[in-house]
Amino acid sequence: MTNNKWKRWIPAAVIPVVIAGVAIAVPLSANATDSLPTKSPQDVLAMIGDSTVTAFSGTVEQTANLGLPELPAGISASSLGASGTGSGTGSDSNASPSPSSTGSSGTSGSSGSSGSAAGPSAADVSSALQLLTGTHTARVYVDGATQQRVQVIDQLAETDLVRNGSDVWQYDSSKQTAVHTTLPAKSGSAGDNSGDATVQTPEQLAQKFLDDVDPTTNVSVGGDVTVAGRSAYDLILTPQATDTLVGSVSIAVDSATGLPLQVSVTARGAADAAFSTGFTALDLSTPSADLFSFTPPAGTVVTEKTMTEKPAPTGSAAAGSGAASGAPDGSAAAKPVVTGSGWDAIVELPAGTDASALTSSPLLGELTTAVDGGHVLSTTLVTVLVTDDGRVYAGSVSADQLQAAAAAK
Amino acid sequence: MSSEIAPESAPEHPNAGDTAAVQPLAAGASAEHPLSAGASTEHPLDGAYVALARPRAGWAFLGSEIAVLFRRRRTWVMLIALAAIPVLIAVAVRISSAGSTPGRGPAFLGQITNNGLFVGLVALIICIPLFLPLTIGVVAGDTIAGEASSSTLRYLLVAPVGRARLLLVKFVAAAAFCVAATLVIIVAGALIGAALFPIGSVTLLSGDTVSLGEAGVRALLIAAYVTLSLLGLTAIGMFISTLTDIPVGAMAATVVVSIISQVLDSLPQLDWLHPWLFTHYWLDFADLLRQPIDWSSFGSNALLQLAYVAVFGALAFGRFSTKDILS
Repeated sequence: MTNNKWKRWIPAAVIPVVIAGVAIAVPLSANATDSLPTKSPQDVLAMIGDSTVTAFSGTVEQTANLGLPELPAGISASSLGASGTGSGTGSDSNASPSPSSTGSSGTSGSSGSSGSAAGPSAADVSSALQLLTGTHTARVYVDGATQQRVQVIDQLAETDLVRNGSDVWQYDSSKQTAVHTTLPAKSGSAGDNSGDATVQTPEQLAQKFLDDVDPTTNVSVGGDVTVAGRSAYDLILTPQATDTLVGSVSIAVDSATGLPLQVSVTARGAADAAFSTGFTALDLSTPSADLFSFTPPAGTVVTEKTMTEKPAPTGSAAAGSGAASGAPDGSAAAKPVVTGSGWDAIVELPAGTDASALTSSPLLGELTTAVDGGHVLSTTLVTVLVTDDGRVYAGSVSADQLQAAAAAK
Repeated sequence: MSSEIAPESAPEHPNAGDTAAVQPLAAGASAEHPLSAGASTEHPLDGAYVALARPRAGWAFLGSEIAVLFRRRRTWVMLIALAAIPVLIAVAVRISSAGSTPGRGPAFLGQITNNGLFVGLVALIICIPLFLPLTIGVVAGDTIAGEASSSTLRYLLVAPVGRARLLLVKFVAAAAFCVAATLVIIVAGALIGAALFPIGSVTLLSGDTVSLGEAGVRALLIAAYVTLSLLGLTAIGMFISTLTDIPVGAMAATVVVSIISQVLDSLPQLDWLHPWLFTHYWLDFADLLRQPIDWSSFGSNALLQLAYVAVFGALAFGRFSTKDILS
């Protein structure tokens, strides 16, 4: 009996080994892919163009490591995905140094107002920044161009963006608020039009980068990758310009359908991606139609908005889209000016926008550093310069170049 | 629990005269049985099943063990304390005149005035970090150490009860307490919510509304999720309980382990470790309140808890089956 005592410990020794083995082996086997037929970069680009996937549902995970400090946890649940239009509740009831929303006027102010946006209020800035730090998970349901639903998942909370035809609903479960926007007849995808801070799907982001593929970009195809259990080509975009912060952009393109599955952006000289968004699960069947019909639940504060036809987009900086997403483009005074083209383009928002909210925000005060003639927000991919007279410059370039651009005006 | 001991064997053991448990009693009778903690608890004696065949005896042993657990005054006090939490929440929300601001306090707190069914959910969110682990720690930490300290362990093992079977029965009984504790919170919350607030169709996190019936199904799913979440801690508590003869020490250590795990889970520097912590998915039961239901966290949580049960169950078996039972 005594000699056999050690045998009683066999399960305790074997079971952890088995569990560790399974935990290691399962991801490895999932990554083992048959090698795909070799394709040229042009073939892969053509695959994206020929992609006919219009309906799918999936889970998207976005990870940002832009060198920004993590925001206090209290902000995450309540202001994530807050309306980017100045029509939020205006009471960010967090213990954190929450900026007072000078641009917002409660729930009644913007009801029925034409024009798309009042200005980037400080609350919107914090919500945009929130999406640019840490990891966020969203469930995405798409059926055609006019039926979409994005659910940004938080622990014990959720923010929904539902588009059904010309109706766009934004619902925040923690604040119990909903914003109903009626789109004009002709418009693109909901994510572009509403200007709201939400998680972008890989294909939306990939399209932004592919729009900018021009002679200043080297395009190559890397090794096969596996994303969400699907084998994919790895399309790598490398800027030729040496003064941009972007080192490379890697787009995983599904080998079967041509759908972009993952986009990751690596800063120049960095080993790991600074920003990546990709599917962790993907189902190509058509989602249930029930998902796209949204009725605000009882007890919800509903804000009505009407969006009029916007002027054509004047272009966007390659990687500056995140920083500029809260920027207004409805009024002529606030129309951004793009200097240069390609990866080192600089976007300028002239004075007259609500930049005082930006500079006076204590949150931004902590994030920015004072430089000659303004304040600079530096991330690994994007730099933003707010000059003392209220102009905003943004681009994937160094702060010196932004200062030079500001001084030239 | 000590009922499988043949009455004839009792006189041979020293101290046997101290306990009423070894006296031959009629089936269904119960006897007062002193515990070292000082609490006087009732131990049922079901002498009838001594004569039963072993497979049936196993079930009767389990039934007896669960009955012992739920006849303890301590168990009832813990369940009543858990039930008091939703009642406190509901009464506090009812008597406070100021409407709660959405986004403040625990999630769902602001929805209670619209729908009383949310009382149970708020109570769960409040109980999961501390109160539930506390009660689980008491029950799981008591499993083996409690028997050892009240000198009933050796009688259990004198009877033809394998040590593995004893561990299994103890674990299943503790798991039954996990089910009871979770259900008590949800049911008490639903009852007090229905009494003090209007109830009706339930708004999910996604903004969709489901009927009362489907909300009930989802509440049961949440109960299953939370019960599952507690099994890993139960196994850890049982392992700790095999290490000592002092039940209070095992209870405290179990609670401390759950707190340490939650502290580690809140440190972003250790995010590589987070998916391996048994507390990591505890509050993700809200994924069952999305439309459509997000089953991924349910699956991950189930796998993780099963792994913890397997590892710490094996450790407990290794320790308990090689241990010299001295009391």
